[in-house]
Amino acid sequence: MSVVVRAEGVTKRWGTTVALDEATFEIGPGITGMLGPNGAGKTTMLGLVLGLYRPDGGAITVLDRDPWTAGPEVRARIGWAPEHEALPPDVPAFDAVRHLAEVHGLPNTEAAGRASDALWVVGLGEERFRAVGTMSTGQRQRVKLAQAIAHDPALVLLDEPTNGLDPVQREEMLGLIRHVGHDFGLNVVLSSHLLEEVERTCDSVVILDEGRTVAEGGIAELRAAGSTRAELIVEVDGGDDAVAAVVAQLDGLTVDVDGRRLVVELTSDDTYDLVRDAIAESGVALRRLQRRTRSLEDVYLAARA
Amino acid sequence: MTEARIHDAGYRRYDGVRLGPAQAVRSLTKHTAQRVMGLRRPARYKTLPFLVVLIAYLPAAVFVGLAAFLPHQLRGQLPKLSDYYGFVTAAIVLFVAFVAPESLCPDRRYRTLSLYLASPLDRTTYLRAKAQAIAGILALVTLGPPLLMLVGLSLQNAGPKHPSDLAIVVLRIAASGLMLSIFYTAISMAIASLTDRRAFAAAFTLIIVAGTVSVAGTLVYALGASKGLVVLNLNRVPFEMSQRIFGTHDADLASVPNAVIVLGMIGWFAIGCGVTWWRYRRLQVNR
Repeated sequence: MSVVVRAEGVTKRWGTTVALDEATFEIGPGITGMLGPNGAGKTTMLGLVLGLYRPDGGAITVLDRDPWTAGPEVRARIGWAPEHEALPPDVPAFDAVRHLAEVHGLPNTEAAGRASDALWVVGLGEERFRAVGTMSTGQRQRVKLAQAIAHDPALVLLDEPTNGLDPVQREEMLGLIRHVGHDFGLNVVLSSHLLEEVERTCDSVVILDEGRTVAEGGIAELRAAGSTRAELIVEVDGGDDAVAAVVAQLDGLTVDVDGRRLVVELTSDDTYDLVRDAIAESGVALRRLQRRTRSLEDVYLAARA
Repeated sequence: MTEARIHDAGYRRYDGVRLGPAQAVRSLTKHTAQRVMGLRRPARYKTLPFLVVLIAYLPAAVFVGLAAFLPHQLRGQLPKLSDYYGFVTAAIVLFVAFVAPESLCPDRRYRTLSLYLASPLDRTTYLRAKAQAIAGILALVTLGPPLLMLVGLSLQNAGPKHPSDLAIVVLRIAASGLMLSIFYTAISMAIASLTDRRAFAAAFTLIIVAGTVSVAGTLVYALGASKGLVVLNLNRVPFEMSQRIFGTHDADLASVPNAVIVLGMIGWFAIGCGVTWWRYRRLQVNR
């Protein structure tokens, strides 16, 4: 399946508020970030993907079906972990995950086995018979992930899965999402307002802003598409004299000076050698030599501009 | 030679059968019933439901025991099956006030409803599963005890003499018990749909039932209105309906036609279903 979710001119209003304004994008296999500030329309879009609402305009297909008209069939193949707490605190994690796997259509014995497997995958194998309410925030987020993957969905929707987690738990959760997406081959949509999280975890991204799609595609392609030229960042020890000494040796190259930092146009692989030789000739200490990459933040800011 | 790799053994893809919404309804019905009865939960959650069920069965056990010891000529003094609910009305109403709130409120309070509606369930099938669970549990106290009494009496030759009479009594018990459980399911689901808090829902249920008793009593007995207005009494009209299923009636309500009782029941039932549906139609679950 080359397209998992396709939205064409999707509009959704809540009263007078336009949550989605002719949003158009495609989500393919792998891990896709749905990025945007709060109020961008991400959660509304996830609700449309689940077939919970009918779009006011446009069309959306999920796993080649219309989720509004074929809701139960589509939702049987989707795993959903909402941003908020959603599991009763007095129920053991295993019971909750098994029950939700049954609700997604798995036979009872299969659901029990897979619930256990899913809880082991998220690192809660030993804790699986503990009540959800006795678990830490990080563990509860893992239980939510477990219930989203236990029935082997074709698409996993995760809404702000690192909310409320400390840095270590956050790192572990992102690792789990990469594991689920890349090693198990599940298609994942990760809704987040955190650029860095999406950049490190996802293969592609859809950027929403005020209900509109402002950018979409593979993260590598989006970064490359915005670059007008390849550049090297060079930072040296010392003051203006040291910088001037290096610049003097870089004759024939296009160089911009920004404080102690030089930005050198990368015209070919020979540029690396020329920069190395220039620094050696000038006798200054090198602090940093790095190819400049356009971050997702650059893409995001440019798209919203 | 191809490279051999061992992947994570903890997760397998699944290409077996998927049973669809019917399995979802079955699972939710079972899960709800287990939750209400405190099964797979700590002992404190089992106390109230099992105590109420025990109270509902106690008169049946006592009457069967009495039938065993009483001489044949005195067995006629035992209460009739049609009168059974008069001994357990309070237990039934208490159970009604407990079951629906326990079934519905936690799903909204803990927002588990958003997970259910992200599954093959939709609002209709979700409510159907909940209604099945609630009606099934209520049938434990509306259907089970008179059936137990009938079986006990029949085993001591104190029940209906002919198989055809026995069949009719069984049908009447079934109709009466199911009618009560379905009626109170509709009413209690409507009340439980109005709040996320179990305790409030339980209290509202008891207050509303008591309120209808007061209103109907005031209208009929203090203000002298038509006795037909007894249909406003949620604690009386279903049990009067039960009496009429058994072919008898409360002496005080002899003048009220069956049709009025039936229409009253249908009206309450429609209100219960309508309120529940209206509430769940309006719920936004994942915004």
